[in-house]
Amino acid sequence: MKQPRPSRRAMVAGGGVAAALGAAALGLTLPRWLSHRYAPTPYDDLLGELVDREQAARLGAVARSELPAFSARAAARELRQRFEQRNLAEVLDADIREDRIAEVSGWLLPDSLAQLCTLAAS
Amino acid sequence: MNAFLDARAIPSGTILQPDVAIIGGGPAGITLALALAQTPLKVMLFESGGFDFDAKTQALYAGKVAGVSYLPLDASRMRYLGGGSNHWGGWCRPLDPIDFEQRDWVRNSGWPFGIKELQPYFKRAQALVEAGPWSYDRSTKPMTEVGEPLALGSGGVYTSWFQFSRQRDSVLPTHFGERYAGDLRHIANLKLFLHANAAYLRLSANAASLDQFDVATLNGRRFSVKAQATVLALGAIENARLMLASRDVVPAGVGNGNDLVGRFFADHPIPRDTATLVSFGGDIPGYYFNAYDLNGALVRPAFAPRDDFKRNSKVLGSLTTVENAVELDELGKAAVITTALALGIDASNAKAYSVGCGLELEPDPERRLTLTSDLDALGMQRLKLSNRVSDSDFARYRLTMRELGRQLLAARSGMMRLNLKSRDSWLAALDWGDHHLGTTRMHVDPKQGVVDANSRVHGLSNLYVSGGSVFPTYSASNPTMNLLALTLRLADHLKQVVR
Repeated sequence: MKQPRPSRRAMVAGGGVAAALGAAALGLTLPRWLSHRYAPTPYDDLLGELVDREQAARLGAVARSELPAFSARAAARELRQRFEQRNLAEVLDADIREDRIAEVSGWLLPDSLAQLCTLAAS
Repeated sequence: MNAFLDARAIPSGTILQPDVAIIGGGPAGITLALALAQTPLKVMLFESGGFDFDAKTQALYAGKVAGVSYLPLDASRMRYLGGGSNHWGGWCRPLDPIDFEQRDWVRNSGWPFGIKELQPYFKRAQALVEAGPWSYDRSTKPMTEVGEPLALGSGGVYTSWFQFSRQRDSVLPTHFGERYAGDLRHIANLKLFLHANAAYLRLSANAASLDQFDVATLNGRRFSVKAQATVLALGAIENARLMLASRDVVPAGVGNGNDLVGRFFADHPIPRDTATLVSFGGDIPGYYFNAYDLNGALVRPAFAPRDDFKRNSKVLGSLTTVENAVELDELGKAAVITTALALGIDASNAKAYSVGCGLELEPDPERRLTLTSDLDALGMQRLKLSNRVSDSDFARYRLTMRELGRQLLAARSGMMRLNLKSRDSWLAALDWGDHHLGTTRMHVDPKQGVVDANSRVHGLSNLYVSGGSVFPTYSASNPTMNLLALTLRLADHLKQVVR
């Protein structure tokens, strides 16, 4: 009997968990999302895309300092449009393909990821 | 068999009369002498130094440097037989076709001919530098079998390959003096003078040809050479110096009626730690750091911009190499973890590396050599280098690095941090290749170049220049193998015109 195939979203989520565990094995950090709870924000629908929100916020804090005019509301509006009917991997793929690359303290990131990080630090 | 002659024993007042006189015994001069062997031409080569380093001779090179930091002029060259090859790193890579083009986004760019003019000479030049079989960008496939190169998504940067000179029976690059002294001794139509410094170029009264040049020695001898054709092969700094300092007929200097001699000086800036490259998959193959022997060709990869990317993004040439492993700081770890997680990548073995590069500069007439009032031990005016690098040269390279970073993300193989942003940070990281170029640039128009497409000085019937000083546009490729190809082409021309 043919097994039902897992959805793409489930596969991406599964990959994220595997990567998080891998990162933990690297000793880079413990994925705090396993234990950390955050106060609600208006952007939780977006921030839920981040597997390790604490690390993302660390990066986002630097991004905020480099973008004094950053507007969380505007960024969230833009991100929600990008996420319409697409998951994180697809949004980042589109960023990379369409050369929407952001620079955070020199680190080159897909723009949507940089914006998510900045929201996480907001 | 000829013997090497010591110019210090030539009586003052002697007049030598070869068919072809070569001034300078570096890679270009030696290559030209080898190429003119077994011709009916009487050839003489005049080298300032001897077989080994000598401090008094080397001191003739001393000069001033102003502007952007640069090595002292007597430290970036070697004044004895073999010239610059006595301290080179052996890096070889042919020029790219686009390097010859007049590029509308690169001021003063373009050669009078395309790469096809040099292609017949590349393999002989490759043999002279002993870089093994011609492999270069054909190395990608066989090297993939040795170890998978870093995957790049489609885009403007690709993995190119250097090859390395290695002298026969040595681990060092080919030192032309040591390597070819034996061959030179066996050339019947060649006389090679050591300790012979070309000190002055004397034009005919109508300034249409070189009548003769003076040779001076550090023990006080002075004699003359009257040749049918004379080739300056002193390197880009000294070629310009000799021409500027010879002013008895043309006050601005030989070949300098249009104020171009000494201008457009160039070298390859080699900024260190320009970026941090992270490989999500862990260790990258060892051939990224140490040249790998691929069937006799020592190869090492570099990231290079494709020609279409150069055109579309208006960037110049660059060759980026992985240098050494580095540790990430906390922010770097956060960047890697966050990005890898978002891309669904396992980065548990991620490794970070520092990268460096060699850059092509835009030709700049104000980056130049001028004479000073200081005199050397032979009474010749010393030089001042006014060195400049524009912010746009750095900014253009940054675009290439940004594209490389994008392609690593696209392939999910890694990511990058650009480490240098401000001008001060670039200048602090700056080193130089000691690839002196451009000071007697080639152009069909005498108002835009010192030599014509045959390397002959405009307006002079019998004075030629060989070596990197004729490069009008520089590429990011290391020049030695390329300037040898150009020299071999000049040899063919001389065989035709000197009878």
